[in-house]
Amino acid sequence: MKKQWYRLDNAALIFPAVMRKNWNNVFRVSVTLKDKVDPEILSRAAEDLRPRFPTVYVRLKTGFFWYYLETVGEAPAVEEDYAWPLTPMTRRKLKKCCIRILYYQNRIAVEYFHSVTDGTGGMAFLQNLAARYLTLKEGVSIPPEGNIVDPAEAPKEAEARDCFQLCAAKATVSRAEANAYHTRGNPEEGLFRHIVTGIIPTGALLERAHAEGVTLTAWLSAVMAEALLARKKADPLAGKRSHIKITVPVNLRKTFGLNTLRNFTLAVNIGFDPRLGDYSHSEICRLMHHQLAAEIIPQKMAGRVATNVDLQRSLLLRLVPLPLKTLAMRLVYALSGESKGSLNISNMGVVRLPEAMTPYVERFDFIIGVQYSYPNNCSVVSWQGKTYISMIRGIRDSELERLFFSSLVEMGIPVDIESNRR
Amino acid sequence: MYCVYCGVRLQEGAAECPLCHTKVQVPVKRQAEESPYSEKYPQPEKHSGKYLVLGLVTIIFVAVALSCIIFCLKSRGEVGWSGIAALGMALGWIWLVLPLLFSRWKPMIFLPIDFACLGGYLLYICVNTGGHWFLSFAFPVTMIAGILTLAGVAMMRYIVQGRLRLMSLLVIAIGLSFMLIEFFQHITFRTPMFVWSLYCMIAFCLIGLFLFVASFIPSLRATLRKVFFF
Repeated sequence: MKKQWYRLDNAALIFPAVMRKNWNNVFRVSVTLKDKVDPEILSRAAEDLRPRFPTVYVRLKTGFFWYYLETVGEAPAVEEDYAWPLTPMTRRKLKKCCIRILYYQNRIAVEYFHSVTDGTGGMAFLQNLAARYLTLKEGVSIPPEGNIVDPAEAPKEAEARDCFQLCAAKATVSRAEANAYHTRGNPEEGLFRHIVTGIIPTGALLERAHAEGVTLTAWLSAVMAEALLARKKADPLAGKRSHIKITVPVNLRKTFGLNTLRNFTLAVNIGFDPRLGDYSHSEICRLMHHQLAAEIIPQKMAGRVATNVDLQRSLLLRLVPLPLKTLAMRLVYALSGESKGSLNISNMGVVRLPEAMTPYVERFDFIIGVQYSYPNNCSVVSWQGKTYISMIRGIRDSELERLFFSSLVEMGIPVDIESNRR
Repeated sequence: MYCVYCGVRLQEGAAECPLCHTKVQVPVKRQAEESPYSEKYPQPEKHSGKYLVLGLVTIIFVAVALSCIIFCLKSRGEVGWSGIAALGMALGWIWLVLPLLFSRWKPMIFLPIDFACLGGYLLYICVNTGGHWFLSFAFPVTMIAGILTLAGVAMMRYIVQGRLRLMSLLVIAIGLSFMLIEFFQHITFRTPMFVWSLYCMIAFCLIGLFLFVASFIPSLRATLRKVFFF
């Protein structure tokens, strides 16, 4: 098959530019089946899907002016999962393939370099991989519905488009906002990442959120903000940054009614300045809810997209060679990217599968990597009445997780804890 | 099995709580209604900040030019070198500030004006310094530079199909123009021929030929596009 190549979408541009030797932006989605995973069948399933998902089976290439993605000749080898997920993908590995397909006992996991796709696109591919695997192994006939597609059909052009270019407004919105408090701690040795997953009945979470009259994402953001505030008060090295802000990636597919398998999310920062006074739990919930609601209206989002897209379209910037562009993007990322949020909460929402697949699936997980300048992150996914909240950290101190999960317990919400602690 | 401190349920067989490390012992849409206020909002003045900055820059250009002329008139009693400096400021203003006064940069209008002004400026210097190099050197070199720049910009802005082939021809033309420039230098200043232009011409012609050949080979064209897209 002829190799295809793709320009990076607007959100993807930043990730190769800011990656370091021991850090880059990687996330993982995984599905746990009822039976043990057969790696040979998984390899066949991965290879079968390659022609259908050309934008996923890609490697990172360096052009003179921009990075770009090129399709790979064969699916990446299926590997046994590591003791800890989300080890950074080195440049050498990214030049071979930007995704990893992993298995461990009953679990199939896919790790993506963020330039390939976002959580929604990643989950769509994982569901298709699991569907193909189950078709090959169990002989299940899974109809193409929801995220599941027919692997024999040709890839759709719409799946490969950069939707940011389609929804950008004519006017831009300023990026200016206050810097946020960052947690600190002694870094873990090597590239070890602690992952603590809380398994919680979705109903119990929704009940609490609805009692406050807010969405689940806003409510979780509020609880996390309280945990961050408590962490900050107890931190003698907290520094001058006072704002507690949660970065929430917003899925723009719903906002603009466009669908793609590439990146199409935009992060918004919601939070408060604790110097202004004490806030009650209900006040923080309302603050988060209304800030989120005000940020995610299509007009505001289109303006913020335009701010990013205008830069990408600038003739002056386009003509700058890649190494200089990389330096500029690193500077922008340091000044207006990570410094504006204290922690990410990425809520994938409820995963839905065709009925034929459901009996074979135990659970889903979604884990995002840590940022370069702050060590804690949080991701959420719900499946069949349970919500899986995964908190990742690159430091030894687990105080933030303790504050967050124990506050849920204090509210009467049962929490089951799993961790990869070594 | 629960952590006695955090209250969370732990994995079976966990040695300690991963959180506290305690060891395990055993918008409503508004209805359309008539607003009590007018829905016409005052519009902010467009580009007011831009014109203020450009005005300040213009004042600086004028002040520098005038102060040069005044200083020269007072010290030497004639315009002399200050004319060159003042016209240099005027040329800089035409090249840098004038396009910014308009909402859109129109190269087909501004570039000929820019190069015509450059030619005029060089003519003034030539006349004032008693030189004989304008017609045989400065004028043709300015013309060549203007035409090539205009061709390049027009190609980038207005031509979509066959751009690579045209670009290859432009690169070859730039290479050949170096020979012409050295020829004009030779007849004006009596310098030897083929000192530098030959190397430049060969390099540009080779690049141009490569691009010309690449424009006929789809796979090579695709590779070039892949690596050099911007």
